[in-house]
Amino acid sequence: MDLYTIAFYLFAVITLVSASIVVFSKNIIYSAFALLFAFFGVAGLYVLLMADFIAVTQLMIYVGGILVLVLFGVMLTTRVINVDMRTGTIQTLPAVLIVAALAGTLVGVFWTTDWRIMPAFPGFEKTAPRIGELLLTSYLLPFEIASVVLLVALVGAAMIARREKKAS
Amino acid sequence: MVDQALLSLAKFLPEITLAITFCLALLVGVIFRSRPRLSMWVALLGVVVSIALTIREMGITESVFSGMIAVDPFATFFKLIVGSSAIFIFLFSLYSAEVLSTMKRLVEYSSLLVAMTLGMYLMVGATNLLMMVLSIELTGLSSYVLAGYTKEASDSSEASLKYIIYGALSTGLMLYGISILFGLTGGAMDIYAINRALVTSPVNPIALLVASLLIIAGLGYKISAVPFHFWTPDVYEGAPITITAFLSVASKAAGFAMLIRFFKIAFIDSSAVGLPAGIWITLQGFEWNKIIAILSVLTMTLGNLVAVWQNNLKRLLAYSSIAHAGYMLMGLAILSDKGIAAVLIYFVVYMFMNLGAFYVVMLVSNKTGSEDIDSYKGLGFRSPFIGVSMVIFFISLAGLPPTAGFIGKLFIFASLLDAKWIWLAVVGAINSVISLYYYVRVVRNMFLRDPDENSGPLKFSVPEIVLLLLLVVPTLLFGLYYSPIVDFANASARMLGVH
Repeated sequence: MDLYTIAFYLFAVITLVSASIVVFSKNIIYSAFALLFAFFGVAGLYVLLMADFIAVTQLMIYVGGILVLVLFGVMLTTRVINVDMRTGTIQTLPAVLIVAALAGTLVGVFWTTDWRIMPAFPGFEKTAPRIGELLLTSYLLPFEIASVVLLVALVGAAMIARREKKAS
Repeated sequence: MVDQALLSLAKFLPEITLAITFCLALLVGVIFRSRPRLSMWVALLGVVVSIALTIREMGITESVFSGMIAVDPFATFFKLIVGSSAIFIFLFSLYSAEVLSTMKRLVEYSSLLVAMTLGMYLMVGATNLLMMVLSIELTGLSSYVLAGYTKEASDSSEASLKYIIYGALSTGLMLYGISILFGLTGGAMDIYAINRALVTSPVNPIALLVASLLIIAGLGYKISAVPFHFWTPDVYEGAPITITAFLSVASKAAGFAMLIRFFKIAFIDSSAVGLPAGIWITLQGFEWNKIIAILSVLTMTLGNLVAVWQNNLKRLLAYSSIAHAGYMLMGLAILSDKGIAAVLIYFVVYMFMNLGAFYVVMLVSNKTGSEDIDSYKGLGFRSPFIGVSMVIFFISLAGLPPTAGFIGKLFIFASLLDAKWIWLAVVGAINSVISLYYYVRVVRNMFLRDPDENSGPLKFSVPEIVLLLLLVVPTLLFGLYYSPIVDFANASARMLGVH
């Protein structure tokens, strides 16, 4: 096992373990902090894929921006520490069956398929210039539409969250 | 590259108009704060202009923005369906007590409706997986918010929440399927490139099956096919009626357009030679049309059987719309241009009759505040015109002559029989009979039951009646004079890159 493979498994384990803490923890603060490590693990995976730009973006936007916002949101909410989160499980048996079937199929597919694998680049190439170029040429339309999607999300969030005085 | 983008812009005017209208409606709302209706008129005008520009694009077959979007007769057809239903929805909204009770949010309502229309315009033309996902998200995000528009009502918030959770799950499944397909084809995002990769070097059929099932889950959610339909009744019941009507027609149309385009281009054997014109065959060892056929049987049967037990008209129409998605899926299973044309014909018809039925439900609920089947008791006597219109819409939904619904079903069944799918046609016919039962149940309440003691006649204003006529007349007219729709649909079944 070379160093690269060890690093991959390390980051994969970090991501998976902290993601399960996010989901299973009953304390929202623990969940929020575990999310930090999940994002970090994913950033590590991007680095191993030589996707330098995506890795940095992941760190800056998710870890640096979104997560800090989430943490502030959690902490500024009144009485968050001892809030009683209602979590429960219903329909356990059907859920287990479906999840097992789905997971079994997916693992089976991943095991038996001949994936078309690209040969690794021999050296390291900066990806940011190439991404920038593609975003303004081949991927111009998705790039622009993504901005409309974000605007819709903003307007929608504002509409749902706005508190209105009762019109009387 | 720059030149190409500029050339693409010229073929992209309807979408650009909608994007500008979206921003303009918001700006107008901010500037003229005291007159929220103004931004609704701006939005309506924008959609009308986009339809006019779409009509100018008729007959063009071209791929724009480096193969992201196809501008072809198929896309144009669906854009017209989506655009016209958007116009109807705006007109409905002008008379909807539910929407007007929250005047302050009218700006967001109008602008998000435009954004949703834009998302659907993109959905019907998308030929790249990235664009497909983005346009589904654009449509989805706007509809989640609009479903929860009357947020004071708890069932509206519930509808919005359910919608977003199911939406997130199904998009997740679809993305997973796309990632498998991406690995199988060696990184193809363009659906033509996917097809080339699959035809030239066969792949593990099970992996391809799993990938396509996951993608069907994402698209099946949009068209509310069983078993991805669980959100439909609750969302349709909780959302404002105008939005429910829009979801049931336009959202479904856009989902169908994407489903048909994706399967017809990515998953057929394009190297096959010597086939009769207008017939295609599946990839070797991967008969996805069987999956679609099973899905259609499940969808129409469950939709119709459950609809029988519904007492809320919105829920009843929700299950009926699930059943209609099942009828239309049959057209795709046939693998012929005739089947696709039949689906297109069905959509024109479905738009008028389904929007009409929802409009009547809205008018009645404006006056009585209820969508329960009991509040329709004696409606035929309290307001004969509304009652008769509803009967026409229901007869059409059930698919009986002389209404347009009959023509829609006729073409679907004719193409099924043509392709020797006898058993599927029989299942479809039995389903139509079941559907007749629950439609007639409402009609019986309207005409054979006496109204409650203390309920007088219902009066409706002239514009409301005119708007209703705009839906009733085509429903009757296209039942008798249908050759224009048929010609138009046959001409529109052509897609970019498929001959």
